[in-house]
Amino acid sequence: MTGKKRKLILAAACAVAMLPISVAQAQQATEVQLTYTGGQFQPNEVRAPADKPVVFRIKNLDGKAMEFESKSLRVEKVVAAKSEGVVNVRALKPGRYEFFDDFNDKARGALVVQ
Amino acid sequence: MRATPGRTCGLVICTFAALHCSRPARADEAQSWLEIETKYIFGFTTGSGIGIEGEKEFTVDSIGRFGKRDGRYAATETKYEYEFTPSQFVQIEFGALGSTHNIRGVTDLDDRNQVAFAGGFAEFRYLAIERTSNNPLSVTLAFEPNARLIDETGGAHVHNYEFETSINADLELLRNRLYAGFNLLYEPEYTHTLADETIRESTLGGSAALSVRLTPGVLIGAEAWYLRHYDDFGLSAFTGDALLVGPTLYVQFTPKSFMVAAWNTQVWGREVGNPQPLNLAEFQRNRVRLKFAWEF
Repeated sequence: MTGKKRKLILAAACAVAMLPISVAQAQQATEVQLTYTGGQFQPNEVRAPADKPVVFRIKNLDGKAMEFESKSLRVEKVVAAKSEGVVNVRALKPGRYEFFDDFNDKARGALVVQ
Repeated sequence: MRATPGRTCGLVICTFAALHCSRPARADEAQSWLEIETKYIFGFTTGSGIGIEGEKEFTVDSIGRFGKRDGRYAATETKYEYEFTPSQFVQIEFGALGSTHNIRGVTDLDDRNQVAFAGGFAEFRYLAIERTSNNPLSVTLAFEPNARLIDETGGAHVHNYEFETSINADLELLRNRLYAGFNLLYEPEYTHTLADETIRESTLGGSAALSVRLTPGVLIGAEAWYLRHYDDFGLSAFTGDALLVGPTLYVQFTPKSFMVAAWNTQVWGREVGNPQPLNLAEFQRNRVRLKFAWEF
C-alpha cells in the first residue's frame, strides 16, 4: 500500500468516527435550563425534541459545588458554588435520560426526548 | 483438593454471591438505583460502555493463566492503563504491560522464573449503537494493537504484534438489574523469535455472559468463552479449540473506584493430532482476572 493511500484510508476512518459529532454540531441545539438549589434540580424533569443536540445550562445556586452527571447522556460537569455550567449533548434518540448530582445522588432528574 | 489461584478466586466470587443472595433486594428497589457503566460487569467479556465524555481512569488489570498438560505453569500479564473518553462516541486507552512467568517441567516450554516489562498497548473503542430507554441493545467496536517483547505463553524474548478486533454488545434485560453481554473476537498475531523464526497465528472466538445486580454497587454473573486457534491469519490452519466457563464479580467501592474479578476454567477442548481431552497447548486450564480502577 502506498503512503498516499494509507493517509487517505486514515483520513476516511477519522471522518466516519467524527460524523455523529459534526452532524450534531451542524444542527441547531435545544437549550435546557436547570437550577440546582437546596440539593435538588428544578425542574427535575425536562423535555427536548429528538434528533437535535441539547445544551444544558445549569445554575448552581447552592453554597457548594455539584457535579452534573449522566451515564446515558455520557456527560459530566462540575459546577462551582453560585455559578453556571454548560453541558453540550449530541442529538438524541427518543427516550428517557436520567441525570444526577455525583456529589449528592439524592438529587436526580430526567430529560425526556420525544 | 489443592488450592489454586483459580479456585480461590471462584470461592471468593461464590461466597460474595451467597452473602448477597441471602438478602434479596425488593423487585422495585432497582428502579431507584443509578444507571451503571456496563464495560466491566461481565468478567473477561467486555461490555459496550465507553465511559462519559471527559472522564479519565487509571487501571491495573491483571490476567493470570494457570495449568498446562504437565509440570507447573503460572503466567500473568498486567496492564497499567490510562483510559479517557474524548467524545460521546469514542474511548481511547493505552499503557504498559508487565508479565511474570513461573514454568517448570512443561512440555515444549523452557523452565523459567521471571518478572519483566512486556511491552505496550493501545485501544480504540467506537460506540456504534447506543442504548436508550426504548432500545436495550448497545454495541461498541474495539480495536486493540499490542506490541510485546516477551512471549505471553512461554516468557521468551520475542517481537510480537497482536491486533485484537472485537465487537462488544450488551443487553439490559431487566432495568438496572439484569444484563447480558456478548463478544466476538478476532485476534491475529505476528511473532518474530530470537532464533529468527516467524510465527503467524490467530484466535477467533465469542462469549456470552449474564450479570445480575444484587445491590447498587455489586454484580455477580457467569460467562462462557469459545475460542478457536489457527496457525495463520486467514483462519484455514485450524489447530484446536476450547470452551471456558466461570463466575464473575464486579464491586463498586466508591462512585470513582471499582474492582472486577473473574475466573474461567476450561471445561472442554481439543487439539488437532492429540486425542487427549482439553486444549492445553494453545489455552490454559484456568485463567483469572483481577482489575482495580480509579476514575478522576
